[in-house]
Amino acid sequence: MSIAGTKKVKSRKAQEARLAWILISPTALIVFGLVIFPAIFSIWVSFHDVGLNNLNDVFHAPFVGFENYREVINDYAFKFQGLNNWGAAVTTIVYSFASTSLAVLVGLAASLLLNRPFKGRGVARAIFLFPYVAPIVSIAFVWRWILDPRPSGVVNDILMSLNLIELPKAYLATRGLSLLIVILLDAWRYFPFCMLMILARLQAIDNTLYEAAKVDGANAIQQFFAITLPELRYVLGATFLLRLMWTFNKFDDIFLYTGGGFGTKVLPVLTYEFSFRLYDFGRGAATAMILLLILALFMTLYVTTVMKNVED
Amino acid sequence: MKNEKKNLIGHLADWINWRRFIFSVVLIFFLTSILFPFYWMVSSSFKTRAEIGGREPVYVPSGLRLDAYRELFDPNHPSYQDFGTNIINTLKVSIPTAIIAVVLAVLGSYAIARFKFKGKELLLNGILLVYLFPGVLLIIPLFAMLAQIGDQLGFNVQDNLAVLVLTYMSQTLPVALYMLTNYFRTIPDEIEQAALIDGCSRLEVIWRVTLPLSIPALISVSIYTFMIAWNEFLYALIFLNDRHMFTMPIKINTIFNDPTPRPNVVMAASTIMTVPIIILFLSLEKYLAEGLTAGGVKG
Repeated sequence: MSIAGTKKVKSRKAQEARLAWILISPTALIVFGLVIFPAIFSIWVSFHDVGLNNLNDVFHAPFVGFENYREVINDYAFKFQGLNNWGAAVTTIVYSFASTSLAVLVGLAASLLLNRPFKGRGVARAIFLFPYVAPIVSIAFVWRWILDPRPSGVVNDILMSLNLIELPKAYLATRGLSLLIVILLDAWRYFPFCMLMILARLQAIDNTLYEAAKVDGANAIQQFFAITLPELRYVLGATFLLRLMWTFNKFDDIFLYTGGGFGTKVLPVLTYEFSFRLYDFGRGAATAMILLLILALFMTLYVTTVMKNVED
Repeated sequence: MKNEKKNLIGHLADWINWRRFIFSVVLIFFLTSILFPFYWMVSSSFKTRAEIGGREPVYVPSGLRLDAYRELFDPNHPSYQDFGTNIINTLKVSIPTAIIAVVLAVLGSYAIARFKFKGKELLLNGILLVYLFPGVLLIIPLFAMLAQIGDQLGFNVQDNLAVLVLTYMSQTLPVALYMLTNYFRTIPDEIEQAALIDGCSRLEVIWRVTLPLSIPALISVSIYTFMIAWNEFLYALIFLNDRHMFTMPIKINTIFNDPTPRPNVVMAASTIMTVPIIILFLSLEKYLAEGLTAGGVKG
């Protein structure tokens, strides 16, 4: 190639790089200004005493070192204080692991169900996605009314007429029971995501594997454990970790179901309360940082195991 | 078996085998537990005060009574909620959010998918990381930052729908970028190269070649970003204090927390908020279901 040709290619490359930056700069600016900078700024806030009084002069807020963190860790709402009062840290972990596991299991069942051909499968699949697609606010209030503590609540009415309970129960206002109900409701709402992930993988399994197994005389259950489950191993893990991280951050669901009361206070709700009920932004940010630290642990796990698997 | 005549019992026995039975039971269980809450929401919105306040739940309302809807929309109703304003507010937030996010994401993700430039990997990984970021973590610094900026520039941060749209960018833009980048990468480069050789500029190529090929992805990304803004609760709860500025989720929360509980009104408002989303989803399910696994709805 002649020198002029190389130059042309080079200048073309430079031109493209410039265009790339022009195209991406608005996005980069917004991502930086509204996500990356705030994320770094919240580390700063967590080490300073920021309240409503100095919010308009936030950069001169007094430095307090680890004081906010100390306050959070010693807060009765955060700390584990025995089996009757788990505190937000333990509650968050129990809640996210339990509801994620359940969502993955239910999703697995649903995907196996929908993997079989039957009349109306397309409609059924669309309906199965409703809980995940519908707005959380409507979902939460419908369930709160179905679980109404008065005898006129649907669940109370059904369970009482079946003689399974004698007195009406306050499902979302009883310590212990509330956490269980919230976990069940979350599994109800988020299983469709797991279902779709698993279904996509299920449909990609080579059918000859099953035919070979049939020839060998394996029954459906044996086929499931010998072929389906191993083939799904990776997608189950990836789905679990992704959902775990999202559940860990979830604010809306628990806030709307119980307001964080009755043993369901999780870290995101605690962060909200510190910041926007007590207006102690420093303490709120410290809580969020603790949340993020635990999350970072999961993320590392995700990146090292799942992403590595993708490359393999 | 093929041409043998069988009696009714024989047919039934053929039809009812164990696997099929279990399958049907599980399917029916799934369908009822999914559909019942939706049935309850819609049917309850048509119940009267007496029907929701009774000693026993009313499973089927006596008729399509519009009492609850009247409270939402009829200015002459004693506890008129002016829900129309809330619907308009929600649209004022979610339509601009979807448009801005999609336009910016198209440009950005095209650059990421097609060009090589310095800092690209960093940007990509940054976006991926952001995708997993808790919204509740960002709201504190965003609130403090925007309060500061608003103070300097003299605009109100609270009850300002434009500010809300801006904050929604932090939730929608990463998702949109991620999905569109993945999509653009599936479009073969050769098609674009051919157009470039024909003398089109890059921007013309994007407009004439890439975008027409990406219509399904564009539809699904716009709908997802629209839905994120339509459903968003936490940021709206913090940034909106004036009931005339409330978006639907905040308004519904307010009606629910009213000292006199009126579940039929809450259900009517929820129905109005949910039905369009479900219809939108069903009519475009073909495009949308795939996007869900790509993380279209975060959470």
